[in-house]
Amino acid sequence: MSATRGEHERLFNGPLTDGLPSLVAAAHELKSPLALVRQLSLMLEGGDVSANEQKRMLRQISLTSERALRLTSDLTRSVRMSDAMFTLEPINPQQLCEDIVHELTPLFLAHSRDVKLIPHKHPLLLVANRDLLRRIIMNFSDNALNYAEGGTSVEIRIGMLKSGNIIRLGVRDYGPALSGDILDSLRGKLARASTPIHARPQSSGLGLYIASQFADVMNGKIGVTRHRDGATFYVDLQASRQLNLL
Amino acid sequence: MSTATILIVEDDDWLAEQHSRVLTKAGYKIAVALHALVAIQVIDDINPDAIVLDVLLTGSTAFALLHELQSYGDTGDIPIILCTNLASELSVDDLELYGVKKILDKTTMVPDDLVVALRSVLS
Repeated sequence: MSATRGEHERLFNGPLTDGLPSLVAAAHELKSPLALVRQLSLMLEGGDVSANEQKRMLRQISLTSERALRLTSDLTRSVRMSDAMFTLEPINPQQLCEDIVHELTPLFLAHSRDVKLIPHKHPLLLVANRDLLRRIIMNFSDNALNYAEGGTSVEIRIGMLKSGNIIRLGVRDYGPALSGDILDSLRGKLARASTPIHARPQSSGLGLYIASQFADVMNGKIGVTRHRDGATFYVDLQASRQLNLL
Repeated sequence: MSTATILIVEDDDWLAEQHSRVLTKAGYKIAVALHALVAIQVIDDINPDAIVLDVLLTGSTAFALLHELQSYGDTGDIPIILCTNLASELSVDDLELYGVKKILDKTTMVPDDLVVALRSVLS
């Protein structure tokens, strides 16, 4: 099975190839990690830091650079969406999420946070493109890392909606709750997705916009649920029927 | 060496740590708030001599905090240094009524600029 341009792409006539607004959002998103890397590098150049501090700062530079590179990689992927064919295949979401948790754990620990998987009680299969789905969950997790309070765990949850046809992968953070206004605005934008989605008040929403684009290509959709003490960003995808055939 | 107490309001915990590192070496006492709501509580608790404030914060912008500080006589006089990626879009002239004394551009500043700015506003 494969997919090319989805509804999202047709609606926006090629997001991220449409000029200035997307470039501005990308520049904004990359400013923060680059500014941090620069400050840390300048401090290290100054030389007046202990060996322990030096080690910690170098680690922060590495991890911050990796996060920034993930965004640039997603941007590249996003711009090339219209040219590419994406293979959709049955995927075990638990295995995929376990890999993501393994990959992100050092970053989360360095920020005094944790990331863990809350699996579904039964094995599930969904239909997706492995690379795009991985990017969506990584994106949600990065967003959650920014927003989660120190000392808390970010949870990647796998669930099935009541219909049994849709599998939901959600990333739950525990931080300050979104205000009602922001939530209403976000829900509207997620529904329409006609403008860049503001994931969080301090964010340009570019990452979430890219995630919605990736979901669209897989015939899925993204959304957000507000909690008293945080939020869950999720992607809904079609369940695979292959398990039923076994 | 100064013993002034500085509140850093910055939602990037590693950048907050970096600012703390620089200012601690310069002799300042430091408190950090990652959100504006926490900042209000910390300001009440420690009555800082100056605030280093990011503009785009989780949960609300710096401007909401600036409004809040101006609402009270005892907090309205605390000098503010904005430290932001949006420096090119802001001016001290427009924001001085909110106690903003300096604006530092995160993308071009060097670590010691923070110390120089604080010395200037606290002198």
